[in-house]
Amino acid sequence: MVPNRNAVGLCAVLLGMWYAGLTQNNGAAYLLCFVLTSVALVSIAHAWANLRGLRVEAHLVRSVFAGEEVAVNVRLSSDRQRLHGGVRVAPVGRGTRAEFPAVPAAGAVEGRMLVVAKTRGVFRTLPVRIESHYPLGFFTARTALDLAAPHHVYPAPLGELPLPINLAAARSGSGGARAGGDDFAGVRSWRAGESQRHIDWKAVARGQPLVIKEWSGDADTTVNLDWAALPALAPEARLSQLARWVVRAERDRRPYALRLPGVTIPAACGETHFHACLRRLAEFRAEFHAAEVP
Amino acid sequence: MKFLRPSRPLSAIASAPLVGMLLCLLLAAAPIFSRIAGWAIAAFLVAAAARLYWNRHAARLPSLALKVVLFGASAGAIAATYGTMVGIEPGLTILVVLVSLKVIETNGERDFQVLALLGYFLALCALFFSQDLLLWLYVGGVFTLLSAALIRFHSGSGSVWRPVRTALVLLLQAAPLIALLFVFFPRTSSGFRFQFSRTLLGTSGMSDRLSPGSVAALALSEDVAFRVEFRDGNTPPISQMYWRGPVLWRGDGLTWVAASPPAPVRRAVPLAGPGIRQHISLQPHGGRWIFALDRPTGDTPRFELQPGGYLLNPRPVFSTLQYDVVSRPENRELALPVDQMRAALAPAMLPSPRLSALVAQFREGAADGREIVERALHHFHEEKFSYSLNPGTYGDNALEDFLFERRVGFCEHYAAAFAALMRAAGLPARVVVGYHGGELNRLGNYVIVRQSDAHAWAEVWLQGAGWQRVDPTEVIAPDRISSGLASFLQTRGNALDPSAAGDSDTARGWRELTRELSLAWDSINYQWELRVLNFDEDNQRAFLMQLGFSAVEWIPQIFIALTAIGGVLALIAAWARRPGRTRRDEAGQVWVEFCDRLAAAGVRREPWEGPQQFGHRAAARLESARDGILRVTDLYSRIRYSPAPPPPHELRDALRRLALTKD
Repeated sequence: MVPNRNAVGLCAVLLGMWYAGLTQNNGAAYLLCFVLTSVALVSIAHAWANLRGLRVEAHLVRSVFAGEEVAVNVRLSSDRQRLHGGVRVAPVGRGTRAEFPAVPAAGAVEGRMLVVAKTRGVFRTLPVRIESHYPLGFFTARTALDLAAPHHVYPAPLGELPLPINLAAARSGSGGARAGGDDFAGVRSWRAGESQRHIDWKAVARGQPLVIKEWSGDADTTVNLDWAALPALAPEARLSQLARWVVRAERDRRPYALRLPGVTIPAACGETHFHACLRRLAEFRAEFHAAEVP
Repeated sequence: MKFLRPSRPLSAIASAPLVGMLLCLLLAAAPIFSRIAGWAIAAFLVAAAARLYWNRHAARLPSLALKVVLFGASAGAIAATYGTMVGIEPGLTILVVLVSLKVIETNGERDFQVLALLGYFLALCALFFSQDLLLWLYVGGVFTLLSAALIRFHSGSGSVWRPVRTALVLLLQAAPLIALLFVFFPRTSSGFRFQFSRTLLGTSGMSDRLSPGSVAALALSEDVAFRVEFRDGNTPPISQMYWRGPVLWRGDGLTWVAASPPAPVRRAVPLAGPGIRQHISLQPHGGRWIFALDRPTGDTPRFELQPGGYLLNPRPVFSTLQYDVVSRPENRELALPVDQMRAALAPAMLPSPRLSALVAQFREGAADGREIVERALHHFHEEKFSYSLNPGTYGDNALEDFLFERRVGFCEHYAAAFAALMRAAGLPARVVVGYHGGELNRLGNYVIVRQSDAHAWAEVWLQGAGWQRVDPTEVIAPDRISSGLASFLQTRGNALDPSAAGDSDTARGWRELTRELSLAWDSINYQWELRVLNFDEDNQRAFLMQLGFSAVEWIPQIFIALTAIGGVLALIAAWARRPGRTRRDEAGQVWVEFCDRLAAAGVRREPWEGPQQFGHRAAARLESARDGILRVTDLYSRIRYSPAPPPPHELRDALRRLALTKD
């Protein structure tokens, strides 16, 4: 429970009322001042009570890359026979809060919160702040919760190094040296929570549903993405570079294998493989392996 | 005018709470509308209408530049209207203008909150001018509605009544705290005070200046001048209640002013007779004089006893003043100080042949002062003088016009003319203004003296008897003195208009009923004034002493106040924090455990898999635990998505029963 910025204004008005009562010996002004003070104080209890009996749940959280926004559907439900006033569920850290104007008695409402995933890793919970300005808005009732929401945050796909294409294999293939993977492979529908970067916005403008364009390159060349091949980079930067390669290779429809200390994922392609690789990168305990860097 | 183009984003406030808030602001400002410039009211209404228009049509809000221009224009208009920005009228106008500008730019929670605070303050401003219980109840109602508007804004409720009910609940729950604050919060009356001028306060009442018509102007006012309790039980008869106010020494025909002789008497005037103790609750009138039964003793140290025997408060009375005073009916003053004698004999009219002849007629062969007085009264009685509320205005030569031509006047005409004639006849005389009579409220056992009881009479110094009250009105219109102005007017009205005399019983009964009700209401209002409004530093100390806090000083009092508030807050906190707070997401925890166990068994949930999909895949892989897995995933998705979710403990039981064997 904290007084918010509006409480400063309230204090100013209370002081004004008190001053009017004092200087004019105005009993009625004193009384109004006391009424406002008391009602504001009692509203604290109502603000607390407003959050009581609320159940907060997060729906499944999609895995995203660090630094990206993920939309989280939040469901607020009440098992009490009273209406709950405005409630906000805000992510701890960056993001956009979900606002619920009201939660009906013994009912539920859904809202969407955008969370910016900060660091890579495996998370079981999503820390949120639940706030309410109800009833008078001078005090904020605030409670911190960890929502059960298992999710992975993949390393941010960064790094400037080119995809380590097995040149010998590439030369033997027909695709030539074009590493970009510019061939249009088709579209698939966008799923909530996915990055909006690959959405075909032109198609949206034509009134079509949200789709993602997929690109493919030469499917014959296999790429070996190896932790040990990047000795010059710091561990996190290495993971980011690997993540970028994974994304690139998957987009090019180029089979890729991931080799991390202790783990090897054989070359493959496709959504399951893609996420399996990225999940390994997200889970990777870099501090255990940093010492192995020659 | 490009820079005036709207630049702010679209309106972000729903219309319903906005309309409610604007209505509340209008209600809050309504009582002070009569005190502010008319254009400010118009500006407020236009601002409210414009804001609503912008809300309905999803138009853009005005730009900062436009608001700056409007603010500058308003400041200029205030300066042009009042010539100054300082003072209560410009102040209130500025407040209303600020509210209007805020209304225009309101676009968000914080603005809405500021509007409500401004509304609270607007509502307070009405109390500067009157502290009547009815007005306070109105202000309390506006307060409740403002709070309801805030609640409505924060609850997203479409209902109008639910927020009002919540606001009333808040108010009710706050009642004990209000009472605690009221009793314990340290009151102090010392220090700097700002005050309003008399005209702005709209106070009326007897002043220390008497001119033709100044009493008659009050005669129809039902406003209460003061209320009196006779706490010793010795209530004198109503017709003998002369409430003494300022004594006027300097006269010019029909116009008299106080102009007291300079040196205030230090010694008490010798008075005799039974002491009558009065507890008077005086409404603010803006002057320093205070009223008491004829004649107050000088033993009230908080007031100055003026020559002429009336009391002055150290400060002008701008808020209800309560005091105890003792009066004794008999005056035993036998020697008049020289300066008072001189002041009481100063000519009060310009000599003229007609006036000299009249005065000579009074003096001719009169044995003593008493006889002169009787002859003068006799003159008023015999010469067809009449008593009227509307005597018309008297011009330059008012006194002669009144005495010889028109012969119509109200009590101030008679008192002034009488005193002026007595001075011309060589008798020291002065005019006293105040009130006469009152109405006994049996319910509260006190006397209400209204402005309509305003009265003026004369005093004449008679050798061997001292100052004697002479009330010429008693001779002209004896009914006025014996039964009060209201019934005097009524009987006269009946005499003039025969149809009114035959009042039906219903009409009379109705009049009686409304009279009783208004007396009952007045008695409640008086208690409000006595117990609530008047609860000042002294009363608080006395009350706390009664409660057993001896010798209460500031510091312990603040301590008590804070402790009491803290205690109440702790109770509130205990109530709000009672078990059953926001619950953890039990189903979510079970689900995480379930996923962990399946992952250990070799089936890992892919990030994009929903519970059903994952359940089927896992069930296909772990054939032996097929039913258990499907039961868990089914329960989980029903808890999450079904309109009638099963209780979470079923999910926990299902997980507990799930037996996994690693393939």
